[in-house]
Amino acid sequence: MDAFKSLVIIMLSAVFVDNYVLTRFLGICPFLGVSKKLDSAVGMGVAVTFVMVMATAVTWPIQTYILGEKLGYLQTIVFILIIAALVQFTEIVLKKFIPALHKSLGVYLPLITTNCAVLGVAINNINESNFNFLQSIINSIGVGLGFLLAMVIFSGLRSKIQESEIPESFKGLPATLIAASFVSLAFFGFGGIIENLFK
Amino acid sequence: MKNNSNLSIILKGILLENPVFVLILGTCPTLATTKTVIGAVGMGIAATAVLICSNIVISLLRKVIPDSVRIPCYIVVIASFVTIVEMVIHAYVPIIYDLLGVYLPLITVNCIILGRAEMFANKNNIAKSALDGLGMGLGFCVALILMATVREVIGVGSFAGISIPFLENYTVKFFQEAPGGFLVYGVLIALVFKITHGKAPYKKEFSCDSCPSAAFCNKAHCQEAKEEI
Amino acid sequence: MKNNIKSVISLTAICIVTSILLAFTNNLTAPIIAKQEAAAVNDALTVVLPNGEDFQSVDITKYTLPSTITEAYSEKNGGYVFKMETTGYDVGFVILCGIDKDGVVKGATSISSKETLGYEKSYGDELKDKTLGDIDTVATVAGATKTTAAYKSAIKDALNSFVILNGGTADLRSEEEILADNLNTALPEANGEFEIVLILEEINGIDTIYKSVKNNGFVFVIGEEFIGTDSDGNILTETSETNKTIIENARQTLLKWADSQIDLTKLTDMPTSVEAAYKADNGNYTLILHAAGYGINGGDKYHPASGEPIVIKVTASKDGKIITCKTLEQNETANIGSACADESFYSQFNGKTENDYTEIDAISGATLTTDGYKNAIGDVFTAIKILKGVS
Repeated sequence: MDAFKSLVIIMLSAVFVDNYVLTRFLGICPFLGVSKKLDSAVGMGVAVTFVMVMATAVTWPIQTYILGEKLGYLQTIVFILIIAALVQFTEIVLKKFIPALHKSLGVYLPLITTNCAVLGVAINNINESNFNFLQSIINSIGVGLGFLLAMVIFSGLRSKIQESEIPESFKGLPATLIAASFVSLAFFGFGGIIENLFK
Repeated sequence: MKNNSNLSIILKGILLENPVFVLILGTCPTLATTKTVIGAVGMGIAATAVLICSNIVISLLRKVIPDSVRIPCYIVVIASFVTIVEMVIHAYVPIIYDLLGVYLPLITVNCIILGRAEMFANKNNIAKSALDGLGMGLGFCVALILMATVREVIGVGSFAGISIPFLENYTVKFFQEAPGGFLVYGVLIALVFKITHGKAPYKKEFSCDSCPSAAFCNKAHCQEAKEEI
Repeated sequence: MKNNIKSVISLTAICIVTSILLAFTNNLTAPIIAKQEAAAVNDALTVVLPNGEDFQSVDITKYTLPSTITEAYSEKNGGYVFKMETTGYDVGFVILCGIDKDGVVKGATSISSKETLGYEKSYGDELKDKTLGDIDTVATVAGATKTTAAYKSAIKDALNSFVILNGGTADLRSEEEILADNLNTALPEANGEFEIVLILEEINGIDTIYKSVKNNGFVFVIGEEFIGTDSDGNILTETSETNKTIIENARQTLLKWADSQIDLTKLTDMPTSVEAAYKADNGNYTLILHAAGYGINGGDKYHPASGEPIVIKVTASKDGKIITCKTLEQNETANIGSACADESFYSQFNGKTENDYTEIDAISGATLTTDGYKNAIGDVFTAIKILKGVS
């Protein structure tokens, strides 16, 4: 029961409190770039979650059983290659077997290789949090969902911005960033909730 | 690129083609490592070192690497330089190593580096690529330090760890936190737009042409955007 | 095809070259990093053991140490630093403790902790200069009992480990384990399952009585001695004649109590706070009540609820007048609600009836405790009416 509780806490913290986009600034590029429309925001979010979980499922065993301490210096290079290969592989598989899904997610997949949230979560699971395999997977799902949530909320906000009048210099990206600041501020409210939820 | 003199290659990185404020590349480290000036300087130097080295090597290998696998090759080259820089920093400046944490290995996926490899080093000779790396790196450093100065001075009332009298008693913690980072970044971009109005190839939106992934993303308009550059 | 092969070869070549390059750099930097980290560890360890020099990590898997110990370092002069992980009120915290060659605590500090009040920061200083002999004289901090008790027991673990690493032996059992062992030796047939017998009136010479959950066997605690009796009343443990008399007397008293106990299970309207009821020969009733005070209904960030009720013993006459009232057990907040165990508080109920039992002075700052107590006392009068109707 305690193990289950700790998994729920890991998951909820990853989604709300430790949101990768809004508090750690990982995965900002797609957050700003692909959040213009709701459906593309959802598509990108789902694709990122999927790749994150896949990447963790592969990188965790490799780090633990092959690289270990001695070859630890190969971590970055191996992880990024794995992620790149996984993204390519996923695209090929989707294209061949589930063309419908490929049509909706396919365009976002290549963008994910250089999404630092994916590499970030793979590295953090091992170096920072010392999670075991199950915890790592749960954390990756949580981080992915947190990314999705941030994207969806933000796309809603952006459609409002487009209709408002803003000073010339702030049009476009600056206004978007300031809106991101507000969303990030809103997520601050989750701080402390999760740990006290299960008291 | 009408003016190809070496000095202008360096200078354009600092203002007119500033990677952070104009090209909008490398947003993640810009926001994440600018809580303190020391962290910003560390990240700036580390990224510049990787940028120069990878630009040189990629320019050197540009005729050897087959087109079909160039992106994985670039990634491997960049990742290895990142790891080398990481190990050197860990060994000689452990304070910076602790300060940057996971953002150090994440230089690998910093769009500036892959972006410059794909957009510049791939097409130019070694000397020019090195200068481009230096210019872009300096631009990145300047931008990071500017961001960090605003955030540290207002947020903690100090500069590079040295506290400023008077200001240290009136700090606005908001600027140290994530929302403050977004806000400062947004305002600075607007400011740079105001200053360079009309001169800089200002990005109205976050578009494909500055995206390093454009190379393996097969969206048609990305291809067009690439050709324009 | 030719292109494909070329691609594979060049990518592989680049991978191999970079790997060699990385291995080379790693060889150069690894010793420097190791040295750097050793220096950092050394600095951290000197904080708790100021005279320590040249710390070396000790392989703790070779010894049987308390489970809280996670790392140990020896130093040139014979001192040790222990790293411990323990649980306080909230979540685990990590403590470093330095012990010099004479077994004296030279410093203790918590290096990571999310504990609520930060007592663990200053508490380390109080444990300084203590040895295994006098560590128990340090009191826990009121309001942070759990945190500071955990802290103290961790330091005790470190002191014990110091003895073990120096080739000695130490009693690593916790207080609960010692009690369980004593009970088991006195009455093995109970299989370690005991419950505490509630003592209604003080029995001469007896400290505590444990009853076997399974049968009618008892363990009587007299001072340091644990004496077991089987279900037929035979004394199983060797003991003095005086103790035998005390126990015989105690057994008789227990039997008398058991006879006078009223079976509450059939009385449906009985208030739930009444745990047990006894009827004396003179017609007076003795009730054992569980009052829900702060320990049950309260609890906040700083003063956690214990989750345990206040146990009250009330003797009242059959016409509903309280003769004596006494708090037997309580686990309310120290220095606040805990005042319900003071005679000045509970003796206020003596002589009270249904009409005036609420007219007492409340415990200042402990509304929940006082109200819970009063509610339980109010149940006494209801209970006596029901009991009178039955018998």
